[in-house]
Amino acid sequence: MMAGILASVRANLSILLAGGALAVYALAFASSYDQRLLTISGIYVIMVLGYQFIFGHAGALSLAQGAFFGIGAYVTGILGSQFGAGFLATFPLSIAVAAGLALLVAFPVLRLASHYFALATLALSQLLLLIAVNWEPVTGGANGLPGVPPITIGDWRIARGTPLLVFVWVLAFAAILIARWQLNPRRVAMFTVMRESPLAVAAFGIDPGLLRLRAFLLSAAFGGAAGALFVHTNRVVSPETLGFGIMVTCLTMTVVGGRLRIPGAIIGALLLTHLPEWFRGLDEYYLVAVGVLLLAMVVFAPDGLASFIGRAPTGDRVNAPPTVRTSPEQRPSVGEPALAVQAVSKRYGGIQALDNVGLSINPGEIVGLIGANGAGKTTLANIVSGLDRPDSGTLFSRGLDLASTSPTAIARHGVARTFQTPQLPDMLTVRDAVETAAASATVRPDTDAILAGCHLSQNTDAGCGTLPHGMRRRVEIARALAGAPYLLVLDEPAAGLAPEEQLEIAAILRARAADGLALLVIDHNLDFLRPLATRLACLDGGCLIADGPVEAVLADPAVRDAYFGLVTP
Amino acid sequence: MLSAQLALNAVALGAAYALVAIGFVLVLNATTAVNFAHGESVVAGGFAAVALTGLVAGIWPGAVPGIVLLPGVLLLTALLGLAIAGLAYLPIRDRPPVSVFVTTIAFGIIVANGLNAGFGAAPRTAPALLGGGTVELLGITASRQSLAIIATAAILIGALAFLLQRTQLGRRFRACAQDPEMARALGIRLTRITLLGFALGTAFAGAAGLLLAHQFFVTPSDGASLILKAYIAVVIGGWGSLRGAALGAFLIAVFEVAVASVSSQPMAEGLLYAAVLLVLLVRPEGIFGEPQRLRA
Repeated sequence: MMAGILASVRANLSILLAGGALAVYALAFASSYDQRLLTISGIYVIMVLGYQFIFGHAGALSLAQGAFFGIGAYVTGILGSQFGAGFLATFPLSIAVAAGLALLVAFPVLRLASHYFALATLALSQLLLLIAVNWEPVTGGANGLPGVPPITIGDWRIARGTPLLVFVWVLAFAAILIARWQLNPRRVAMFTVMRESPLAVAAFGIDPGLLRLRAFLLSAAFGGAAGALFVHTNRVVSPETLGFGIMVTCLTMTVVGGRLRIPGAIIGALLLTHLPEWFRGLDEYYLVAVGVLLLAMVVFAPDGLASFIGRAPTGDRVNAPPTVRTSPEQRPSVGEPALAVQAVSKRYGGIQALDNVGLSINPGEIVGLIGANGAGKTTLANIVSGLDRPDSGTLFSRGLDLASTSPTAIARHGVARTFQTPQLPDMLTVRDAVETAAASATVRPDTDAILAGCHLSQNTDAGCGTLPHGMRRRVEIARALAGAPYLLVLDEPAAGLAPEEQLEIAAILRARAADGLALLVIDHNLDFLRPLATRLACLDGGCLIADGPVEAVLADPAVRDAYFGLVTP
Repeated sequence: MLSAQLALNAVALGAAYALVAIGFVLVLNATTAVNFAHGESVVAGGFAAVALTGLVAGIWPGAVPGIVLLPGVLLLTALLGLAIAGLAYLPIRDRPPVSVFVTTIAFGIIVANGLNAGFGAAPRTAPALLGGGTVELLGITASRQSLAIIATAAILIGALAFLLQRTQLGRRFRACAQDPEMARALGIRLTRITLLGFALGTAFAGAAGLLLAHQFFVTPSDGASLILKAYIAVVIGGWGSLRGAALGAFLIAVFEVAVASVSSQPMAEGLLYAAVLLVLLVRPEGIFGEPQRLRA
């Protein structure tokens, strides 16, 4: 414990020294004007920390952070100036109303694709700004409301200057601690998967909706808190607090400081509140310079200034809690199929992708699914994993109705899949990717054994983005196995692999089937599939034209016609 | 009588909004990128008209009609579009879409605050296209400006339709919009098409700025509400559809004029934004939806 703290102090020495020097300056040497700037900086630290959740970690461009700030400002401003309410009432209310508003709009807004999300949050901001300007009796209209009281807690009145500065920064540090607590390594890994591998997020067993909602609510709560402190500092609330200017300031601070790391919020907030002072000569062109800075940062340093101060080696990682081996009784009993597909059809516009398909897979079976391009193989994989819904027919897997269950719930239930093109988050290490998938499994698997079984023990600390293709395929299989599946659907696992790599994959899969795992292997490559599969099924134009022992299916004239054309050996 | 004039006003406003929305979709089709600087491009067109009026006034006998400014406004805003493409889109076109959102927002900040510094924050007005006053038409008294807006927008949209439907360049543009990979494989230079999309799209926004700046004035901070209206029009009309965007723009204008006639302009805008949030609650994929691809 002590050693850990010491190591952490040593690693963060430069940051601590810089912070200490800044504190000494702020308390002993700064003029009252400088202290005011530092107070505002502390407020923006809170706002930017909140924005990092949704813009940085969730990767969604919210343009409502200024609106949440403004809502917090108006709740405190109206209650404080008109009703004389105290800080202990108004501060929590400001946070609650901002978070409540986020919750209210989350349902329509969070499901939206990226551009819709940005513009819907902008619509929300503009709507609130219009209300603030035009609802004069309550908001004071364009001039706002003066007479917001200072922060008082009981008889303790926090005066402007040093007391307010210290109070705001104490709250800013509390916000940092909350952010650190929320951003534990496992959750950061989940956010990374959601951002970088959106197609595979469900395959990791991650519920992207809940994760986004958490990020959005946290951003709103932090924004509301910052807005409340802002009006206590200014003693007046005006539509300026809801304006696009605040949003732009917040966005710029986050991009300049860095959107993913906590020091980025502090650097961005301190820098952007002080830049106007250092560039007074620019006058009204200052905001033009801010635009240029924002543009240049995105183009040349997209990870912000915080990426230039080395990442402190925290020693944290996506730790797996005690591992439990999958016990045999978790496996389905013989006789109960791992997958039962009946009469499933699916049409895309004019194309019948699947036509009355029936297929069942038993535990321990390796069913190869062959068929020409466009025969419907990937459609079937998507329907089994819940990424797509059948028009008719039924799919059950150990009692779970796959046709009406979310992809995330299907993955957690134990139906794993891999993708034609491996979907792995570039920024995560191999181990973190596998641990993240393991974290949501019902039965926690032994990830070390899985990594070893996939011949990845030597590469656990490599970033997924740096791996060669063959290894990415094995990492994806390891990721799928980490969800403790009883059924695994593989979409062309051998595509683009050298023959010896194909043999390696086949050996991995055969070993798992021997443990009772049911496998559906989609592939063209008969050199790979023929020795591996225990059964073969063939799709042609959406119809299942054959299903049976490997050699029997390959000898079937219909299969030969559909799959090999008219060529006879 | 009054309702006929209101209807004419709505059509004129819709025609100007249609130019904004069509410009937005042109960029969208050329790049799949959402150009957040589009609202500021409209504002820039309005201020280009204000500035050009000052220049032309020296050599023009009498009051300058707005229509003579149109070529200049189109040219200046087309150049602005090339600048947006070159600085805010092309350097980062391979990054996630959020990056382009942020760079175009940054570009919008630069334009809005540059105009604010150069012209001041107060509303400015551009000259009427063909002079003020009214004309008698089919028994109703019609505002000359409204008729001129409708005619100008119709000519610009007609010219665009000709370009896209009847010329080789237009066919290339449509090919890129439908399948950029295939278009590239066929030897079409994507960068040129991108630049064309930004230049045309931003010029359309600029023309709308000229059209709107007489009656509604132009203020450097107008960009946010204009980009929102373009976006709403595109959501109504179907993501990526030029005809849909124009239709959506007319619906927005009718809604605004109708609500404003019984209450106020802020109420009209507020209800519009609230309506959009409600629509997204019911149909998160937009009113006509957009094609989704699910293949990994």
